[in-house]
Amino acid sequence: MIDSLEAARALDDIEDMTRRVRQSQIYRLSSLLMVLWGALVFAGNLVTYLTPHYADKAWLSVYVLAIGGSVVLGATEKTRRGMSSFDVRSLLAFVMLFAFGFFVETIGHFGPREMGAFWPIYFMLFYCLAGLWFGIAFTVFGLCVTVLTLIGYIFIGAAFPLWMAFVNGGGLIIGGLWMRRS
Amino acid sequence: MAELDEIIHQPLRLRIMAALNALPAGTGLEFVRLKKLTGATDGNLGAHIETLARAGYVTVDKAFVGKKPQTTVTLAGPGRAAFARHVAGLQEIIAGAAAKPPEP
Repeated sequence: MIDSLEAARALDDIEDMTRRVRQSQIYRLSSLLMVLWGALVFAGNLVTYLTPHYADKAWLSVYVLAIGGSVVLGATEKTRRGMSSFDVRSLLAFVMLFAFGFFVETIGHFGPREMGAFWPIYFMLFYCLAGLWFGIAFTVFGLCVTVLTLIGYIFIGAAFPLWMAFVNGGGLIIGGLWMRRS
Repeated sequence: MAELDEIIHQPLRLRIMAALNALPAGTGLEFVRLKKLTGATDGNLGAHIETLARAGYVTVDKAFVGKKPQTTVTLAGPGRAAFARHVAGLQEIIAGAAAKPPEP
């Protein structure tokens, strides 16, 4: 027979393990999504840098492929691991995030350079917020990309899209791989 | 009277069961992931999984993913029920202690 102190310790252990497993599941799916988004964002920035004329079409394709891919990955993970993840609510959340972003972009009369800085920082804000619930890794990643984006926006000239290809696209890929190991 | 399961009560086995119980039914965890989550060594984790498997609490599946062998541990139905009883037992002990009148 154990005393109440030992029982409380055992329950704390159970709670801690439950939290760690859920965090690990979230990290696993997030890492897959980050690598997918990273590769597409890298391509989008590269096209913007090399052929600015096609930037609009490139970014539209990036968003459609990234959101479509996220839905497919979410559904696959749900089938394989029973983890409810990227569902209709997530899709609607993305639509709302993009709608608000486009609204800000329009009333702010952003140029290509401002848009190149705004979108990553806007998305990284949600990584920073997610970190408050799902693990510090998200916040650290969000802050790093935000700082590097601002450095590029202030100090890098015409090569800013190329800088963003590595900072945002490359950052997402590296962050995703790192999160997989966490 | 609180009913504690002697097999589950061992600290590492409790962590293994808690980790597997956090997953939806029928979903398992790879040995490597379980090792990371519990902080156990290979040998220690293997021995305790063996004990849980002998009790019918978990199932162990070995398969090849590409050329790499992969061991997946899944909580079995009797294991989930035993774990629920064990947690209820722990809660009962705490509730019993809280209900006890303070000693003079």
